[in-house]
Amino acid sequence: MMKLKMKTILWLLPLLVSTALTRAQDLKIPPNIESLSAKAKETVEVTMDGPMLRWASKFLSADDPDEEKAAKLVANLKSIYVRSFEFDKDGAYSMADVDALRAQFHSPVWSRVVGVRSDHDGDNVDVYFKLENDKMAGIVVIAAEARELTFVNIVGPLEVDQLADLGGEFGVPKFDRKSLKHATKADKDYAAKADKDKDKDKEKDKEEQK
Amino acid sequence: MKSLRLCLLVLSFTTLASAGDNEFRGVVHAIEGHYGVRHMHIPLLGFALWFARPEGMSGMKLAVFENFSGSTDADDVSRIVEDALGHEWYPFVRVYSRNRVKGDDEATLIYASPSGGKLRMMIVNVESTEATVVEVKLSDRAIRQWLKEPGEEAEGHAGPLRHRDAD
Repeated sequence: MMKLKMKTILWLLPLLVSTALTRAQDLKIPPNIESLSAKAKETVEVTMDGPMLRWASKFLSADDPDEEKAAKLVANLKSIYVRSFEFDKDGAYSMADVDALRAQFHSPVWSRVVGVRSDHDGDNVDVYFKLENDKMAGIVVIAAEARELTFVNIVGPLEVDQLADLGGEFGVPKFDRKSLKHATKADKDYAAKADKDKDKDKEKDKEEQK
Repeated sequence: MKSLRLCLLVLSFTTLASAGDNEFRGVVHAIEGHYGVRHMHIPLLGFALWFARPEGMSGMKLAVFENFSGSTDADDVSRIVEDALGHEWYPFVRVYSRNRVKGDDEATLIYASPSGGKLRMMIVNVESTEATVVEVKLSDRAIRQWLKEPGEEAEGHAGPLRHRDAD
């Protein structure tokens, strides 16, 4: 009886692990982000998804070139989530808090882009992009300043350099276009390297199975 | 035939107005029921709101609760509000502020109901001693402003709305 239960658990384990991994890959807002809210003086959450986002895309003006660009992008997106935390003093949150947030994106589908600078002084901006079947499926931005921490999750097809077109709309921070262009090259190199590594791993597995 | 058309038009407007009213009343009643408070009766409120409404907003409805002593936890408040609102209302902005010196917390929840070229917003603000429910319709210009900077607009509007009208 005990053996049977053990067997069932062993069979179910991969299923449970894969479900947990899928959940981690599909996360909208990382669960540990709420702990930052307790330390913050002010927390602002902006949620734009489903019909609300489609409606907003139609509303953005065709007369304004910036809004027109943003409208085209937004029409294809599934959702935009922004969480912004403002703190009353420097050091109110630790790098460990930010690292815990970053750790959520250390999974095979997410890749990190380095060297993206926000338009207002922050050097500490991490951009992660998600690839699904070799296509961009989402972007996460973590911008950490001394007294402010912003987390943005954009779900849907969007290239890293297009972030600049979306910056300044729906609470998404503005980005330096130049650094995004550099980042685009970096992310393509990174993705190519990641693909090569994955292929190598697969070959290794095959050899081990033999 | 003309009078029939006129009748239908009046009826459709009445239905729309009453649906909007129901949602606003639903939220007010839900807060009253959950926290055991009653909203204040403010004489000539509609008249005052017509003059005092912020730029780009119309069709304003307001309910103020004084001597409020409920939870300011944004999750608690959103559960109550979302249960009272219909499916055509979407969570849009949430602002949660802590004043550590005064030990005073404040939660502002904004729900949006887009339809055609119009946007209705339900703004619920809860502080340790006061709560406010506001429903407004936004002009095109105001919608653009809200879509650009939702967080800043929420911070800028929730407080002043309440304090102006409560005075």
